Amino acid sequence: MYIYDKFDQTIVRERVAAFRDQVARRLAGELDEDHFRPLRLMNGLYLQLHAYMLRVAIPYGTLSSAQLRRLAYIARKYDRGYGHFTTRQNIQYNWIKLEEAPDILSDLADVQMHGIQTSGNCIRNVTADHFSGVAGDEIDDPRVTSEILRQWSTFHPEFSFLPRKFKIAVTGAAHDRAAIKFHDIGIQVVRGPDGEVGYAIYAGGGMGRTPVVAPLIRGYLPKAELLSYVEAILRVYNRYGRRDNIYKARIKILVREIGAAEFTRQVEEEWKLIRTTGVNLPAAEEARIRRFFAPPPYDTIAEPVASLTQAKAASPAFARWIETNVHTHKVPGYAIVTISLKPPGGIPGDASAEQMEAIADLADRYSFAEIRVSHIQNLILPNVKQADLFAIWQALGKIGFADANAGLIGDIIACPGLDYCALANARSIPISQAISERFADPARSAEIGPLQIKISGCINACGHHHAGHIGILGVDRAGEELYQITLGGAADQTAEIGALIGPGFKSADAVDAIERIVDTYLKLRQPGEEFLVAYRRLGQAPFKEAAYGRA
Amino acid sequence: MAVLNLAPGETPVARPDPWVLLADGEAPTVGAHVIVPFARFKVEHNELLAKAAAVGVAIGGADVVEELAPWVARLQLVLLQFGVFKDGRLFTSARLLRERFGFRGDLRATGDFIPDQAVFLLRSGVTSLEVGEAFPVETLARVVRAYSVRYQRALDPQPVIIDQRLQGNGA
Repeated sequence: MYIYDKFDQTIVRERVAAFRDQVARRLAGELDEDHFRPLRLMNGLYLQLHAYMLRVAIPYGTLSSAQLRRLAYIARKYDRGYGHFTTRQNIQYNWIKLEEAPDILSDLADVQMHGIQTSGNCIRNVTADHFSGVAGDEIDDPRVTSEILRQWSTFHPEFSFLPRKFKIAVTGAAHDRAAIKFHDIGIQVVRGPDGEVGYAIYAGGGMGRTPVVAPLIRGYLPKAELLSYVEAILRVYNRYGRRDNIYKARIKILVREIGAAEFTRQVEEEWKLIRTTGVNLPAAEEARIRRFFAPPPYDTIAEPVASLTQAKAASPAFARWIETNVHTHKVPGYAIVTISLKPPGGIPGDASAEQMEAIADLADRYSFAEIRVSHIQNLILPNVKQADLFAIWQALGKIGFADANAGLIGDIIACPGLDYCALANARSIPISQAISERFADPARSAEIGPLQIKISGCINACGHHHAGHIGILGVDRAGEELYQITLGGAADQTAEIGALIGPGFKSADAVDAIERIVDTYLKLRQPGEEFLVAYRRLGQAPFKEAAYGRA
Repeated sequence: MAVLNLAPGETPVARPDPWVLLADGEAPTVGAHVIVPFARFKVEHNELLAKAAAVGVAIGGADVVEELAPWVARLQLVLLQFGVFKDGRLFTSARLLRERFGFRGDLRATGDFIPDQAVFLLRSGVTSLEVGEAFPVETLARVVRAYSVRYQRALDPQPVIIDQRLQGNGA
């Protein structure tokens, strides 16, 4: 993974000092809250319902074991002993004191971490496929591109006061595990006409109150011209994105209002003027960054691995976990492990300091000291020997994270909702807990198969409900929490926005409605047909009727 | 109001300033340094350029700097008026004036901005700040020195990190 040199380290160190100065000025009254807000947001510090929340960037979802231990330390020292991994490959601490925030940032800087641009109207933490570098279907490791973008976007002199927040996601494979089409810019590594590596560029996607699947604005961009092209997009957006209404200020609205063709024309015109002005990264610097993502020293291992075969035969529960939570690695004899942070009845994405430390230990012992954070709010051990899987599964069982539900109905994305968030209209966590408990039986959830439920507590859609196969949106109706259900959303390369089935359900009824939808799917599916495929074939009608009890 | 110079590595200090922003309808005095809003300049540029010793134009975030391009060689000052400090359009306007249209005069920010934005302004090509009496000048002197290194090429002359790395100075 990328290791800071003295320049990267200097920037985060100087950032800590600058933020300490800003906090002191705020506490002394020199800065009013209105002018302090963007400064603290650019350090990831939010004012929530009950306390300050600090959002720490985990750039493109890659963490070392030492960094994960430091996150555990911060949870214990400054918070209530836990943290919350988010859909944007960040971790949030919910009980932070403003006066201590500079010390936390200093502790993070010790391990090359920060909260820079995890909030505010700037270019946010760049996210990427959580299987980067280990997935067999990858053309190029998207973390190289992501790190280039991280450095370019950090304290960008021109793009630090954008109309609204700006999110970039990168995938290195045709199979999109990073939901790139729901980002302001989505970047997909592709091969060009002559087989060389470059990018397809999508722009203007997003969720929120106006969900949009990003249109493709350039089918092929040479790899070396990434930064000038992205800069051209940002410049057009910074100049012409709306600033009169925060609900219309995202780039997706600009793209929609002038049309993707006209937006593309403006970007291309700007790009022509800047592509040779020194914005692009020199090849030697790209090569320097790339070296950090070289594969670790894998052993040569023949498959099948006998001990794995035997362990699966001996333990059906282990075999089920292998089926759901272990993914094919590009190197024979190795595997990718998804650690589900979704125990039935738990809070999706939450991990205690002890759990984080235990996972850091597992990474040290079994995965070249590396961990990934997925936008699905799970942790990943990316480089595990198949022969070690049984030991890892047993160790995860001791910390309550051995559930065999990755990608299944219990693997729910949920925003913090009204339990924490000042923007929320309804709680997300209790409904998530109720659903995961209802479908806690591993055999039943395996029978249902791949099914993504995503829950947001308000229209801002931090819980990605628009992209859920089953999406749930909490709304407030005259003081009562109601839950609207959408069906048919998808976050992958077949990205689609879910369609609302009708009026919202009371919280007590919502889980029953979900169960009736699932039962309808089980009844109507063809052999081997996954939920989303069945939904696309059958349309909304049978599910809607079932949800409202009319079937 | 005071005008502070803004230059890389220097403490911003107040300097004498000859410029006056003309009120609506106010005629330029012969030999004066006058600033007018862009809308007025579009109509009266011939008269203004003939009469005044030096002409500056005030632009806001919504003004399109391409329209100012034909005149930049004859302007001594462009005033960037921040209605709200969050209006990031003016950072792009500043860069375009310098990099694309070759403006060489004084590029001055005024209005609602905070000391912490000064580094971004400087890096976008701004060379002076007009500030009110309550503006914390001591804070400004401190925060313009907050960062010793930078990733992006911009209008400030200090070497960027990439160049230092290419020279082998990163380890």
